[in-house]
Amino acid sequence: MEDLAQAAIEATLGAGANFADVRIENTKTTIIEISDGVTKRSMASFLKGAGLRAFVDGAWAFAQTTNLTPSGMKETGDSVARLALATREQVTEKFEIDGPTFKDRVKIKVQKPFADISVEEKIGYVKMIDDQARDFDKRIFNTRTIYGDLWTELHIANSLGTSVWEEYSLPRIISSTTAKEGTSRQRGFRSIGTNGGFEEFETKAAQSIGEESARLVIDLLSSVAAKGDTYDVIMDPILNGVMVHEAFGHASEADNWPAHATVLEDKVGEEVGPEHLSLSDDPTLEGRRGTFSYDWEGTKATKRELVKDGILTELLHSLETSSRLDMAPNGSARSQSFMHPPLPRMSNTHMEPRDWSLEELFQDTKEGILLCGFNYGYTEPSKGQFMFQANYGYLIEKGEKTQMVRDVSLAGQILEVLPKIDAIGKGFEMDAGTCGKSGQGVPVMSGGPHARIRSMPVGGL
Amino acid sequence: MSDTLLVIAAKAVKLAEKLGASQAEAYVAQSRSFAIDVENSAIKSASEKRDAGLGIRSVVDKRIGFAYVTTIEEKDIPNVAEQSVSLAKASIPDPDFVSFPEASKSYPRIKDMTDSEIANLSSEDAASLVVRTVEATTEALGEIQAAIEAQLSANSGRRAIANSLGVEGTFESTSSFLYSYPTIKTEDDQTSSFEYQISRKLNEIDPEWIGVGAAKNTLASLGGRTIDPGEMPVILSPLAVGTVLGNGFAGAVNAEEVQYGRSYISDAFGEEIASEELEIIDDSLLRAGLGSRPFDAEGYPSSTTEVLSKGILKNLLHNSYTANKDGVENTGNASRPSYAGIPSIAPSNFVITPGSGTLDDLISEVRKGVLVRNTYDRPNMTTGDLSAMVAEGHYIENGEVCCPVRSTLVGINMRELLKRILRIGDDTRVTTSVVSPSIVIESAKITSG
Repeated sequence: MEDLAQAAIEATLGAGANFADVRIENTKTTIIEISDGVTKRSMASFLKGAGLRAFVDGAWAFAQTTNLTPSGMKETGDSVARLALATREQVTEKFEIDGPTFKDRVKIKVQKPFADISVEEKIGYVKMIDDQARDFDKRIFNTRTIYGDLWTELHIANSLGTSVWEEYSLPRIISSTTAKEGTSRQRGFRSIGTNGGFEEFETKAAQSIGEESARLVIDLLSSVAAKGDTYDVIMDPILNGVMVHEAFGHASEADNWPAHATVLEDKVGEEVGPEHLSLSDDPTLEGRRGTFSYDWEGTKATKRELVKDGILTELLHSLETSSRLDMAPNGSARSQSFMHPPLPRMSNTHMEPRDWSLEELFQDTKEGILLCGFNYGYTEPSKGQFMFQANYGYLIEKGEKTQMVRDVSLAGQILEVLPKIDAIGKGFEMDAGTCGKSGQGVPVMSGGPHARIRSMPVGGL
Repeated sequence: MSDTLLVIAAKAVKLAEKLGASQAEAYVAQSRSFAIDVENSAIKSASEKRDAGLGIRSVVDKRIGFAYVTTIEEKDIPNVAEQSVSLAKASIPDPDFVSFPEASKSYPRIKDMTDSEIANLSSEDAASLVVRTVEATTEALGEIQAAIEAQLSANSGRRAIANSLGVEGTFESTSSFLYSYPTIKTEDDQTSSFEYQISRKLNEIDPEWIGVGAAKNTLASLGGRTIDPGEMPVILSPLAVGTVLGNGFAGAVNAEEVQYGRSYISDAFGEEIASEELEIIDDSLLRAGLGSRPFDAEGYPSSTTEVLSKGILKNLLHNSYTANKDGVENTGNASRPSYAGIPSIAPSNFVITPGSGTLDDLISEVRKGVLVRNTYDRPNMTTGDLSAMVAEGHYIENGEVCCPVRSTLVGINMRELLKRILRIGDDTRVTTSVVSPSIVIESAKITSG
């Protein structure tokens, strides 16, 4: 891989680029989906290729190839440089790309590599979870279990001298259940995603995920749709993570600064929330789905303190944004695969815990709503608005958890929501997901403690 | 060149059969995608992606396996075929699987699916189109400070499919997409909006219309505020219909979801589930349609399917598996995300029959309500509950558009929404997921705060 990378960079520079980089990827994945005890999908995939970028005076060009030979690299390097030179004619803003260089080789430590486990054993595990969910209760009439494992080796090199090889191994298991009683038809959903080998499917949580999904769907049978209104909201750790991700994380991706596309543009170094609030994005956490040592530009990844004690202190950087904004690079550039150029992205995003116990939160809230888990969310940083949906929740009446509710949406404004967070809990939990931006999905986690937001518009029927 | 892909597909099928597959299917696709991106009102980057790959689906005694690779090189075929067959052998048999589609006598011909202007677009011409768009936006915004993001992409591709039962098909298509997305700032507000067009023909894309439209939409979004909550009429413009019906209803008439009982219309086949006003046709033969194709993702010939007529649910969308399972005729709605996946079910061109009246006519009939230009939300597909943020929209008062809204949500169950469709306009537009005019919903719960 290293020789091919050098061939690509030499060709790109030789054709006139100021800066060049290349990602050579070799990925193998297995996906197994079982529904009602029957295999719906057994899938193996092989992604092999290289993504090249050329940069000239403020103009970027990107190209990809699956021809992993020295001549393939040379040809693609040459053509991507020519595309950048043609684009330069149209560019008005000139800048340079600079950054520290790294040379490293990061092998992942797993006990049971996916490649050593037979398909039969993988299918056996998925079948066990699918059966477990179905056997939980007679009212469950459809089960769906999706298993995924992904192994990647990635070589990243650039013309500044960086040359990094890193290995990834990501397991994923999802259990989805549907139940019916009378006219009530509900769906339940649980998932786990970490960083490791097949041993991650042998933990207690991964062995009982079918049951957890089934328990949730049976509980949901007696839930009601939430009544749309403005509530004091207690978020569980998972929903809190989604709030941090949607309401703040995306707006702190530094490519929004040169694009003038975030409401946070003038807020660096300023107060954006209460003093007890700190938000971090940390790719160095052990064993998490959004964990990595180097980003997809080959920059060493460090913990970023996006908001520290209420102040916006750090952004998520690629080499371009740290160069243009004259800030320290922190290794936040990621790509879905070699087929996509790297962009500033989140990794493991969370709110830092404080000192409220759950009991204190409930008693102090008196009337409100507890919202848990999540379905999905999205944000428009340039407009400053976001939306996310909890999977389920409970009304809080007289300081007690009461009626279960489902599918609760929250909408808000990025600059208005953080100041409304007035109580932050002690615990800490994270949940796995896949974050989408510009057509690229990357594995992430988000979480935190329980926390309360005052007076939020909650959508309902 | 079409023959090359078909030759690879046929070879892959033979190889999988030789390795023990009783039926095999190969899907081969090759594409080129060229894009120019604008950041902060100036061109910043260009990309050229050439993608090619091969996916093989194998059946061994009702057990199914699938494998794909991101190349179409001859040396990679044996490994993919082997993986596909060995995954099939390890799988749990599906008693409801009958067969892949059989060969058909011929495929329909669909007009205007390719445009050589798109396939051969030079980077200079692409740059000129996107620059015209940005200039039109800038000019229409006048004195207001703006940072415009824009993109032009030109895509061309060819696909081929072959299976053990003699299915053999190949076709070519092109498409182009152009958008402008300005962010504007005033002393006390910041907002953004967009306009776009997508078409199979380059000359149907109008940079000035997009540029000016994006500016108008953004200016109209300035000064958003919250409104008094309550039950009130809601008008969905074509973009919002694309999300709410194009995703939220098309997904519910997916036969697989209905068969598993996961859809909110699972018990409603043949029933009157919607207002008489609503008529929906899935038309995969539409001239130059974005979802048109001569055959579906399993090589089954395309046709036109009546989904809703006078409010009655007439047909679900099927692929060969679900049609065999229900013992009904296949509607040819197998769909796959290129070579890298197995066929699922999706609409082709989900066409909502227009009624009468412009958007202004519809607005003039509402005393107090909400106009939703856009939302990104989808319902819970099992319960049908929809709780959607008005990503862009306006408050209507006394038959006129009043102010833009913010932090505002629309809540309604999809089964109620379908029944409460009061009238349908004639302002039809092609979006990425639907061909539809605006639609008026009699009432929904509005929360704002």
